[in-house]
Amino acid sequence: MRTARAIAQRELGAYFRAPAGWIIIAIYLFLTGLVFALSSLTPGQPATLREFFGVAGWLLLPVAPAISMRLLSEEFRSGTIESLLTAPVSGWSLVAGKFMGGMTFLLAMIAPTAVYPLILQFVSDPSPDMGPVLSGYLLLVLMGGLYIALGTLASSLTSNSTLAFLMTFFVILMLLFAGVGGQFVPDWVKPVLFELSVSARASDFAKGIIDLSHVVFFIASASVCVVGAATAVELRRWS
Amino acid sequence: MIEVDRVHKSFGAVRAVQGISFVLQPGQVTGLLGPNGAGKSTTIRMVAGFLAPDRGRISIQGHDTIDDPIKARRLIGYLPESVPTYPEMRVREYLTYRCRLFGLERSVRKKAVDWALERCRVTDVAQRRIGALSKGYRQRVGLASVLVHNPPVLVLDEPTNGLDPTQIGEARSLVLDLARDRTLLISSHILPEIERLCSRVIIVAGGVVRADGPTGGIAGGDRGVLVSVKVSKVGDEARLRGLFASMPFVAAAEPVKSETMALREGFQGWRLLCREGAGDAQELIGAAAFANGLIVRELRTDAASLERVFMRAIETEGSVP
Repeated sequence: MRTARAIAQRELGAYFRAPAGWIIIAIYLFLTGLVFALSSLTPGQPATLREFFGVAGWLLLPVAPAISMRLLSEEFRSGTIESLLTAPVSGWSLVAGKFMGGMTFLLAMIAPTAVYPLILQFVSDPSPDMGPVLSGYLLLVLMGGLYIALGTLASSLTSNSTLAFLMTFFVILMLLFAGVGGQFVPDWVKPVLFELSVSARASDFAKGIIDLSHVVFFIASASVCVVGAATAVELRRWS
Repeated sequence: MIEVDRVHKSFGAVRAVQGISFVLQPGQVTGLLGPNGAGKSTTIRMVAGFLAPDRGRISIQGHDTIDDPIKARRLIGYLPESVPTYPEMRVREYLTYRCRLFGLERSVRKKAVDWALERCRVTDVAQRRIGALSKGYRQRVGLASVLVHNPPVLVLDEPTNGLDPTQIGEARSLVLDLARDRTLLISSHILPEIERLCSRVIIVAGGVVRADGPTGGIAGGDRGVLVSVKVSKVGDEARLRGLFASMPFVAAAEPVKSETMALREGFQGWRLLCREGAGDAQELIGAAAFANGLIVRELRTDAASLERVFMRAIETEGSVP
């Protein structure tokens, strides 16, 4: 765990030392801020953050793969994986550290948006219902966690970070539209697709409902991805 | 101590390593020599724990690299050939990160980093970004990064790569100094480098060990004398061969077909392999040549004998000496 933390901290440092990290945060905050200002801050609009959460969630589709794409791919490409895997670091703590690093960056990116509900609290009368706000943030974190975990898995499979980005992007896209594609597939596949559908679960959170089965879905699928990535890294020794 | 026992490794249809074994003791610098694609890097990567052998066992100070990997890797400092580092990190920061990976307590980290910086003469760039350093400095930072946890076993892949002659000298004395109480395995394709650094040489080719022995011994058992004699007319080669063969202290004779030799008008180089215990080879050859009316221009003991051992070892395809 200590090595995982060292790896996570180095990773986080690498995000903030490159312009890319700051650019990702800036774009994310600009777009979500724009939506907040246009939808929630406009006089006459209801005091909710519904639109904000909708856009903040959708923006994770390109942003999460951008955060996760180089987590392991870059180590493979630059050869630093060789000095990492010959240190007393298991594949498991390496991947856990990488995931934690990416996840912390994602949280750092989302955190400043917490001023939006505070602003709303201040300017709107009646004040907004905090239930959907809290469930909305929980959804963002859970969704972000799943996407970063998917990205870590994709990144563990290739030394090409563009490829890792695309793999993650399309898998997330499929998860988002899994429920919609129902009409084109045979009947027995439909319940499977519905279970995988992230959008169906997201709509519950938006209403302020925190269903434990949804929480378990996100955490369990993220864990599967992280374990998969750790296995992929360890298997490289045996290739 | 490194113990490698009948190790095999294949990549698909390519059999990179086919049953290599050796045991390395502390206080010894061993050079792993071989042409490109000989299985050198694969062997080194297996010793370092980056690759797992298909068959056979490797242990570091008694810890198996597969059954007890974390303990085994804690005892190794491994510097890959490409010296991978993170260009955006500062030197001190990177070394501290390496300390953390090796589980060094916070209280000893600073001391360990200072020691490694000092040892590799990179203290003056401790606050610089690695990406902004020259290749020589980056190489030394790489070396510092594998020393930082003070491992008893060091595995260095081409450690003097990219250094200028002054730096090579420094690196060489550093390596020899480090070797005093450690086990060192160095891979290189620069033969004089291995000859200067290593007390033992293992030559691999085609995934097997072709020669293994003390550097002096492996080369010394094959001591040759280089003679450059005047050839007056065509066909003299056969005459010279017969002449040399008639000398009782000459075990073998072969003409040297090098361009520099060809440039010396009218002279031809011969490499004579002399029998042990026949006396001073140079004197004997000189006297015999004089008695046979040969004009000798050059007569010297061949220094590049490891090269010849190497060439012969890698040429014997398929056979294991």
